[in-house]
Amino acid sequence: MIRLRGVSLTYPNGTRALDDVDLEIEKGTFVFLVGHSGTGKSSLLKLLYREEVPTRGEVVVDGIRVDTLRRGRVPKLRRNIGVVFQDFKLLSHKTVWENVAFALQVTGTRTRDVMRMVPRALDLVGLSHKSRMFPSELSGGEQQRTAIARALVGNPKILLCDEPTGNLDPSNTTEIMELLQRINLKGTTVVVATHNQSTVDRMRRRVVRLEHGRILHDDERGYYFRGLGQTAVLPG
Amino acid sequence: MTNEAITSVDLGRLRFFLGEVLTNFTRNAGMQFTAIGTVAVTIVLLGAFLFVRDTIQTFGAGVLSQIEIAVYLKDDVDDAKAKDLASKFAGDPRIASASYVPKKDGLKRMKAVLGPDFDTSLLTTNPLPNTYKVRVKDPDSVPAVARWIAKDPRVAKTDYAADTVQKLLKAATVLGRVGLALIILLSISAAIVIANTIRLTVFARRREIAIMQLVGATNMYIRMPFIAEGMLAGVLGAGLAIGVLALAEHQVVPKLASTLAFVTFRVNELTLSLELLAVGAAVGLIASWFSVGRHLRT
Repeated sequence: MIRLRGVSLTYPNGTRALDDVDLEIEKGTFVFLVGHSGTGKSSLLKLLYREEVPTRGEVVVDGIRVDTLRRGRVPKLRRNIGVVFQDFKLLSHKTVWENVAFALQVTGTRTRDVMRMVPRALDLVGLSHKSRMFPSELSGGEQQRTAIARALVGNPKILLCDEPTGNLDPSNTTEIMELLQRINLKGTTVVVATHNQSTVDRMRRRVVRLEHGRILHDDERGYYFRGLGQTAVLPG
Repeated sequence: MTNEAITSVDLGRLRFFLGEVLTNFTRNAGMQFTAIGTVAVTIVLLGAFLFVRDTIQTFGAGVLSQIEIAVYLKDDVDDAKAKDLASKFAGDPRIASASYVPKKDGLKRMKAVLGPDFDTSLLTTNPLPNTYKVRVKDPDSVPAVARWIAKDPRVAKTDYAADTVQKLLKAATVLGRVGLALIILLSISAAIVIANTIRLTVFARRREIAIMQLVGATNMYIRMPFIAEGMLAGVLGAGLAIGVLALAEHQVVPKLASTLAFVTFRVNELTLSLELLAVGAAVGLIASWFSVGRHLRT
């Protein structure tokens, strides 16, 4: 589903965000990208939805060469990828329903389909009863669930989450992570960039660790720190 | 983006689109008024300019087509001899008509034109010569025909006003070019004001735009509401201008028409209004297209 080969990304200011990264993610998997801030997690996600173009290397998403994709084709790629951020990026003057519908309306979806698809997405994230509320009336977790509903309403094959729980307290974090797992069980490929150690260690999914723009380790059913999983989940 | 979506009217989508345009439009009401005002001023000037140009042209063309060559005959040419000239004129294909005005008729005409203030009692003899009034088919051939007629031994002198009229028309052309240049400059400044207004809207809506790009809206789709906004400003400005022009026409033209009785005022209101609206819409379209385009190039 996702394949990076020899990918390097150097920003115009000279910062090297990624350095010769090789990564393959199968369809339907759940992957954590971990590492300190500034190790290239966000940059890697940005390459996948073509917010950034690699300086070198090859990026393939769902059979499409993203690194050489013409600008006119980017919208079509993005309709296949849902993206969720730490700061939710909701529109404050629109209700939950309108925020979710917005993603469909601006991509030219027929009203009939909008009316059918939005309730389904809201139901999935458990916000049907709050569809008329504005983001300011919601808790952080609910706002993030709205953002997830917006990312998923068009039935994308891939969901990318950049620090989705960075602004949330532990109970909301758990709630969001459980939701992401449920979404993954329905067949969506989920990639989560995070530095939330306890979440990663509890869930025991594939963990790709980045350090200074390179992949340090890549474990099936891994821990945030390789081999330190047991100590890391100790209480206290 | 599918064909069926275009052929079948989707009211929900239309409402969403119009809602977006309205939100944009009302967000910078102050700037929007400035933009509309600038367009209105530009188009009022454009309308006034077109009116003046048209009037001069119709006036000039009308005068030109009615130009007569006055052919003054020598004193020793009596009525009988003068009549012979008629056949000469009739044989020339360039000449449309030639009418003979004997000296006594000439005096009567003069009296009629100048009215009772003209006192003929002081005249002991009729000072006017026997005259032919010759009209040509093509105004451009007036000088040539006049020269040809002047060679006739019975003719004392020919006279015509074509030179003056042609100078007037030439002046109108120059005036037109200067006016056009001014209008173009004004249109550019109107476009810049609209472009700046749109830029403010784009800036106010940068979050929406970022989300639209994220979820895969095409640049064309993102552009649409802003372009509609620009065109709306242009069309409203033009509409305002048309109102002002209509009022001015209503007030000014009757007065002009009574003062300058010989000038025909001809305004095709509908065509002119549509043209001015189109100009307003075009200015708005071009301005907003470039204004948003700069922002979308990421």
